[in-house]
Amino acid sequence: MQRSPEFNFAGRLLQRLGEKSALIDAATGRVFSGQDLPDLVVGFAAGFLSIGLQARDRVLISCGLRPPSTLAYLGAVYAGIVPVLVDERALAMSGEALFTKAGAKAVWIGEGVRCDWARNQNVPVLAGGFDPCPVHSLQPAPCTDGDLAVLMPTSGSTGSPRLVMVSHGNLRANTEAIIRSQHLGTDERAMLIMPVSYCFGASVVHTHLYQGGGVVFDSRFMFSDKVLHSINTYGCTTFAGVPAVYNILLRRSNIRSIPLPGLRRFLQAGGALAPESIREIQRVVPTAEFFVMYGQTEATARISCLPPDRLGDKAGSAGLPLENLVVRIVDDEGRELPEGEIGENQVRGPSVCSGYFDDPEATARKFADGWLKTGDFACRDHDGYLWIKGRGDEFIKMRGIRVSFAEVEAKVAATPGVDECAAAAVPHPEAGEALVLYVVTGDGESGVVERIRHAFPPQWTCASIRVVAELPKTVNGKISRPQLRTLA
Amino acid sequence: MEDVLSRVQKAFESAFHIDPQTVTIDSSPDDISAWDSMGHVELASSLERTFGLTFDVDDLMEMENVKEILRIVQSKLEKVPSATIP
Repeated sequence: MQRSPEFNFAGRLLQRLGEKSALIDAATGRVFSGQDLPDLVVGFAAGFLSIGLQARDRVLISCGLRPPSTLAYLGAVYAGIVPVLVDERALAMSGEALFTKAGAKAVWIGEGVRCDWARNQNVPVLAGGFDPCPVHSLQPAPCTDGDLAVLMPTSGSTGSPRLVMVSHGNLRANTEAIIRSQHLGTDERAMLIMPVSYCFGASVVHTHLYQGGGVVFDSRFMFSDKVLHSINTYGCTTFAGVPAVYNILLRRSNIRSIPLPGLRRFLQAGGALAPESIREIQRVVPTAEFFVMYGQTEATARISCLPPDRLGDKAGSAGLPLENLVVRIVDDEGRELPEGEIGENQVRGPSVCSGYFDDPEATARKFADGWLKTGDFACRDHDGYLWIKGRGDEFIKMRGIRVSFAEVEAKVAATPGVDECAAAAVPHPEAGEALVLYVVTGDGESGVVERIRHAFPPQWTCASIRVVAELPKTVNGKISRPQLRTLA
Repeated sequence: MEDVLSRVQKAFESAFHIDPQTVTIDSSPDDISAWDSMGHVELASSLERTFGLTFDVDDLMEMENVKEILRIVQSKLEKVPSATIP
């Protein structure tokens, strides 16, 4: 395939911007209008090139909940330079490891962000912005669909960071399939409280800009009502969050008294949210559709989507594979399993990435013959809907039977008075393994532990139930299994 | 009784595992990287344990910085009979 500027994903995004396009910082009210965005992105592209970075060089981009991170990210992609995206909150802790792993040549940080390890080692640190540059003065770097566009960090089960190689073609294929699955129009605006270094956050930015829409970043979700008011102030039509975000909205915000008349859809991914919580959100904001999605960074972002009109009869399902993906369920020997049987979920299609950067061993374990081995255990029903049962390492074996933590957690979370639950396994003399439950209870709840024990299926063995104030979470809001183990 | 600020500092230490001396009356989420949306919930729980208080949603929304936290904690402590302060 001939290299051409038209395959450059950032170049394509800029071409598709429209009158409604904008990147907005809700905390400061600063608006980067659609008219200005191309010149701003190309300003970053020209700026990176001017300091000596070349096509295929890597640059670490620190991603906060403000528009400049997105401008820097897209500017690098536009210039053919490969951005390595890192969450601003993880920059001090894991930035250096990612920088070294990627063989990067420079670091970009937003205004007011510190990066001491880079300064100490004389790594070039670029801070803040570059002057805008007319979009016509610099073409997008020519590339093919298969050329590396961006390196996305993902934490492996061992905890050591890996960099997923996402190509220009991966980005376009996933972006277009997500747009269709969510019926995104050309006048959409997303409220985003996740950085673009998280594939879910990146997918929201890509899809909305690609449709000529905009994105509002709000860094103030700790004061969740502010974000709800920002949704109205800026006319947002989409809200995206992981399960913990929806739990905070239901438990720690005034969502019940702040109407959201313009909101059209909630997007939820990053783990299972209890069906009762989804129903509660729908009761509170009946005018917005609720999309449950499932995905992995190794598949660019999204793999499947549950159509909102099937929430009733398919509650708890991860939905149907996106239209350009093929999904199969296989046993330990790689044999395809019939419907209803649980095995490893594998995915194939144009948004499945080619592997991990500079890590052939991990790549060989996770990718084979075009298939992504997700490591997620799942089954498909007779309508083709995917049901995720848990990760390979998120099962407990009690009395010889494998039960996923997700199933236990959903069952316990359904007990009246329980807000959230996390399960862990400990060795047990009779059962082999037994459950330790960590539960967060509602205000003034008593007798919850008794109720949980009462509702417990007899085939499950529970070693202890501990009431805790909060569950340990990762920066992306998922339950942190390694941290949970330290509580045990 | 220890002053309220130093007990607030201890609540920060227990929530975020940071040096309590780095928390001043002028600190805000901009200065403490772990003070994000999940962190705010942890911080509120830590403050509740430290002072034996409960916060409602509106309290959480007003806790925009340490100064506000002190104001909210102090006003709640004044309403609580002194015998129940742990």
